[in-house]
Amino acid sequence: MKESPVLEFSHVDVMRLKDLVIQDATFTINKGDYVGIVGPNGGGKTTLLLAIFGFLPLKNGSIRLFSKNIQTFSEWDRIAYIPQGAIHFDTHFPLTVAELVSLGRITRTNIGKSLRKTDWSAVRECLTLMGIDDIAEKRIGSLSGGQKQRMFIAKALVRNPEILILDEPVTGIDATGLESFYKLLSDLNLRKNITILIVSHDLSSVFCRMTKILCVNKNVYMSDITKEIDPNVALKKAYGEHFHFVFHEHECKGDFHHD
Amino acid sequence: MIDSLIHDIASLLGYQFFQYAVIGGVISALATSWIGLFLILRRESMISDGIAHTAFGGIALGLLLKINPLITALIVSIIAVLGISYMRKKELAKSDAAIAVMLALGFSSGLIIISIAGGFNVEIFSYLFGSILTIDQTDLLIVSVLGFASICFFGVFYKELLSITFDEESAKVTGIPVMYFTFSFNLLVAFTIALSIKVIGVILVVALMVLPGLAALQLRRSFRGTMIVTVCFSILSVIIGIFFSAVYNVATSGVIVFTAAGIFLCAAVYHKVRYTA
Repeated sequence: MKESPVLEFSHVDVMRLKDLVIQDATFTINKGDYVGIVGPNGGGKTTLLLAIFGFLPLKNGSIRLFSKNIQTFSEWDRIAYIPQGAIHFDTHFPLTVAELVSLGRITRTNIGKSLRKTDWSAVRECLTLMGIDDIAEKRIGSLSGGQKQRMFIAKALVRNPEILILDEPVTGIDATGLESFYKLLSDLNLRKNITILIVSHDLSSVFCRMTKILCVNKNVYMSDITKEIDPNVALKKAYGEHFHFVFHEHECKGDFHHD
Repeated sequence: MIDSLIHDIASLLGYQFFQYAVIGGVISALATSWIGLFLILRRESMISDGIAHTAFGGIALGLLLKINPLITALIVSIIAVLGISYMRKKELAKSDAAIAVMLALGFSSGLIIISIAGGFNVEIFSYLFGSILTIDQTDLLIVSVLGFASICFFGVFYKELLSITFDEESAKVTGIPVMYFTFSFNLLVAFTIALSIKVIGVILVVALMVLPGLAALQLRRSFRGTMIVTVCFSILSVIIGIFFSAVYNVATSGVIVFTAAGIFLCAAVYHKVRYTA
């Protein structure tokens, strides 16, 4: 089957406050890829995401989303984003779960228009899909960490996105929560064929669950993740030659994505 | 006593000046309540205080030039909003410092203008502390136009404003033109302050902007519920203020703020009993 590219970087340089943060980045992400974006702090992972959204000017090169240059790309409703620290919001903010998820239905085409019945049906469907329909009318500040994560994924999915981008979404979540969170994303990737890009420091989860790894440390290296590939070959390029990651396949608890 | 109070209120409603006061007060309450709630959620409550004090310079200018002071106050408020936005954008000052600069500049301009003019005495006093019972047809027209613009903007764009207020970065990715909305919102803050000057005056406008929203937040409702309760609290404060001050001849703005503060206190007690007991 021919792979269809959804995101293409071609010799991209990105400046941020006069510093060259991303240098000569060239890679392609295809539909259905599940990509872990890893790298040291300050290596440029968040900058890379901001460049995808067109928030930062490119010094060189081009970025294409669904085969369109990002400077002219306008179909942002095909992309959903969960920002860094999303779950650490102001707990006094007066929103119910359903109200927050409904904000995900805002697109460029319905600005200034009320949400329709179909929008609210989509909200209910996503709440059910995430297993949080029973807390739809609860205040968002009263939820547990896991419920908050599911709520933000519901907010993202309610757009029916083709690409889901998450920036370090698991900060402050315990090991059990992490496991179920990554399993949820794997299911979405496999069942709905949603392309997922996730910035993560959890290297074990990246190698257990994801199909590609994007190592970012000013330069960007992409590698497929298979049982045959030594994780350290890719990781040393991002973290340096001294870095050694000990990966045990049994940590994946039988969920290695190739099984 | 109650019969006498009802009789007084009924007879007051027969006067045109009182009808103007009630209509102007309700419009002002509607406009300030939604803006105030968003300012609280954006953690920018003090911007309303800063701009209101800056508007004092505009009022003095209007009195000097014999133009309706609400118009000059509006113009100066808009300049203050733009000034604060510019200083923040160019990183000349953080939000609180930028507000302090504009507040001081506006208020000192007002003082200079008053001293040049030899003092406006009663007139300036009515704008400092509000005088809704003296609102005339022109004032009511200005208040209505500004209030209508503010309420319509909220009615049409509330979901976008909510999205930006909750998470600006996500809103940008969604495709919402955050910069334009933020600019428009700030302009409406200036509009709302200008239309509130007659009702409550520049000194106390921040109370009408913030107290109803803060009280509503204590009840821990949905956004929709919080907004409805905020509007109700705001209208209730203004109406009680107008009637009480007319019947007992005390300062309207003082009664409005006391009522709003009383509602907040009750809501805070409810919150304490309901959620922390």
